[in-house]
Parts: sequence; structure tokens; C-alpha cells
Amino acid sequence: MRKSTNFIILWIIIFVQNISTAQNCNVFLYQKDTLQYEACLIAEDAYQYYQYSREYQEILDKAIEKCPHFSYAYLNKSTAYLKSGDFITWKYLIDKAVEYNFRENIGYRGWCKFQFFRDYQGAIDDIESLEAASKGNIGYSAGGQYHLKVAKALCYKQLGDVHKAITIMEEYMVDTTLQVSVFDHFHLGVMYLEIADYDNAITQLNLQSAQNDLAENQYYLALCYQKMGNDTLFNEHIAKAKEMYLRNQKMVFHYTEPIDRVYLKEIESAMEVQKDDNK
Amino acid sequence: MRKIYLFLISILILIQSCQQHSIPKNSKYLSMVGDIDYDAKLDDTNFTLCNEKNTKQYHNLNEELQYEDEKYTLNHTFISQFKPDPTIKDSGMIRIRFIVNCKGETGRFRLISSGYDYKEKQFDKAITDQLMTITKSLKGWKILSDKRGPKDYYQYLIFKISDGQIKEILP
Repeated sequence: MRKSTNFIILWIIIFVQNISTAQNCNVFLYQKDTLQYEACLIAEDAYQYYQYSREYQEILDKAIEKCPHFSYAYLNKSTAYLKSGDFITWKYLIDKAVEYNFRENIGYRGWCKFQFFRDYQGAIDDIESLEAASKGNIGYSAGGQYHLKVAKALCYKQLGDVHKAITIMEEYMVDTTLQVSVFDHFHLGVMYLEIADYDNAITQLNLQSAQNDLAENQYYLALCYQKMGNDTLFNEHIAKAKEMYLRNQKMVFHYTEPIDRVYLKEIESAMEVQKDDNK
Repeated sequence: MRKIYLFLISILILIQSCQQHSIPKNSKYLSMVGDIDYDAKLDDTNFTLCNEKNTKQYHNLNEELQYEDEKYTLNHTFISQFKPDPTIKDSGMIRIRFIVNCKGETGRFRLISSGYDYKEKQFDKAITDQLMTITKSLKGWKILSDKRGPKDYYQYLIFKISDGQIKEILP
């Protein structure tokens, strides 16, 4: 009984997964866009295949043949190229998706430029284009961990404009219509640390600790106390950073390396430097 | 009855998975996006795969890149070994894609490159040859496994180059 129940659950999961990656073709029917409706029906067959597979790509090609401005097919075709690092083909496909449906795809393209290719200026340009075209909330990253305003702030920081990044983050944090996400206090804390505003950095990193503590968070707290000359709190937090890191309580993203990620060797190196300074 | 039903479903799944690997002659795609077929002119004959038809992507087997002592060490290998030529001012992105086999060995290296506008572009060989040599020399790739044991997997590195110098290494 248990085996067959598990089996049914598995099929339900596969079914739901297929639905969730697919588009509701009736939307096009309501809009009386017959061409996109027919292309959408063709594209539905693709979702039973892995997005890297030849079958998936070929079915979406057929959907594009039916309707050359069917943005959803370009968008879905682009994903495997994105994840395999083929920036040339990805960009060609995602540009087509943006060309045929700007409002739906420009924010996603900006996020991907940031996450996969560290194209900070390209990401800023896309996110700011979306802001200019939108009245309300511009939305979150693919995966939902970052609001696109936070992604934009991180891009400015990476380009060296930490003050602008902080301004964007502060405005975002006080906007009550937006929800603070899982890494927001952490990144803002690191930004304050980078401009030597240790009090504000500690405040934000402590807020992160209370919400979703990470080895990285403890590491940057330790650096704040080190800069303030507080050896006791440095030692406490750096030891906790190492302990959490070894317990796997660290920043790990699917596919790519997160901004402000810290590695074990960096934590150990900070410990060694402190030991040498105390000799 | 239930057993027969499960057996039939399993056969259907098996047939479907087999079909995915038989490429029609008129298809412009390989079995999977990013696949690298063996090329006698480019590839080491001693580099073999455990299962040619079931090579995974690195993100199928773990969330992030898996290297001994983590990406920190990988970055430092390139920083210490790459010698920029001050007369070469190329900028853009270079991707080297390759396979890590079930024994942790690497092979079938392929390179693509573009400017920061994402348009295909050739870099000076002094840059690409160095990056390829260092990438081929890396020995720290971890063996990745699923429940059935070690797998072959595709890995890639993207080098962001500004004025001939390595600015960032991805993913």
C-alpha cells in the first residue's frame, strides 16, 4: 500500500511540476491571439522533457515556427544555454524574449546578467528599464531570494559605488510594501562595513543573525569587531563562523557563487592573522 | 495487478529515456545543449567516460562548483599562474567547458568567447592559450555521485577579462 501511495505522490509531483513550468495557453485565447495560442499548445509538449534536451529545444523551435513572436519559447529555450555558460546563444535568445514581451522578461534578463555573468552594468540597465516602465513592485529574482532592487544595489556595490548601493538598500528596507528577504540585512551590513560604518554594520548583521544566521554573517561581524579593536568579540564571532561553516550553515546558491560569499580558508586566514597580531 | 501496472509504467519510462539519446540525422541539436562529442583531432584518447550517454551537468549533482579546498583555491591558482601581457588589452568573456569523468579526470575542453556585448569575438591567443593550459592542469575537481555511484559531468569556467587581466572567474 505504502509503495503504491509513494508512486501516486511521485506522479502528482511530476504532474504539478509540469503544470508549474508551463504557461496557461487560454490567456492568448482570451486576448484573441490565435497564433500565440497555437504556438503555446505546441510548446506544452516540451515540458515533459529536460530543458537541456534536443526534444525540448526542437518542440520550442516548432512553436516559434508557428508564431515567431512567441516570447515564451525563446525564454524557455534560453535556460539551458544560461546554465551551461553559453552566454552568446543565451543572449540571442533572451533578447528575443525581451523584444517580444518586454514587461515580463526584462527583469529576469537583468537578474540573469547579474547572477550568471556578473554583468553589473547590464543588470542595472535592465532593472532600471523595468522600473521606468512599471508603476508598482518590480518583483523578485528567479528563485525569489532577492528583490530586484537589492540585486541592483549589489550591482552598484560591485561597480564600486557602495554609497549608492546603501541608499537603494535603505529606501527598499523602509518601504513597507516590500518584504525584507533572506539575505537583505546581511548584504546591507557588509556594505556598511565596507564604508567603515561599523555600528550600522553590526546592527544589520545582528538583524540577519536573528532572522537567518550564516557563517558569512558571523565572519563579517568578526571583521567589524576586529576593526573596532575588540579582540574578544572578534574571536567569539570568527570561531562561530568556522563552526557554522563546518556545519554547512553557509551561503550556497544553485549554479553560481553568491556575492559576499566567504570560504573556509578565508575564515581560517582571518584567525591566523589575528593570532600573529597578538604575538 | 498493481505490479503489472508498475512494470508497464517503468517500461514506458525506459523507452522514453532511450529515445532521448537517438538523434535524428537532420537535427541541428546534439542530445543535450552543451554536449561535447569526442574529436580525435582535439581530444586525448586516454580520457574516457563511465557512461557516454548519461553525462550530467555539474548542477545536477551539487548546488555549486565542487573543487578541493573550494573555489577560493581555484581562483588563486589562476591568479598566481596567469601572466598578463601588458601590451594586450582584450576585454570580454571566455568560457571553457569540459567534462570531469567519474574518476575526477578532465577532458574534451572547448572554448567560446565574446566581448562584453555578448557578441562572439576572438581573444589574443596569449590569453586563451594560458587559460586553456591552466584549466587543463587543474587536478582538484571532485568526483560527484548520485545514488548509483560516481558520474561523469560537464563543468565550465567563465573568465571575465578586462584589459587583458582576469577580473572574475565564474560560476
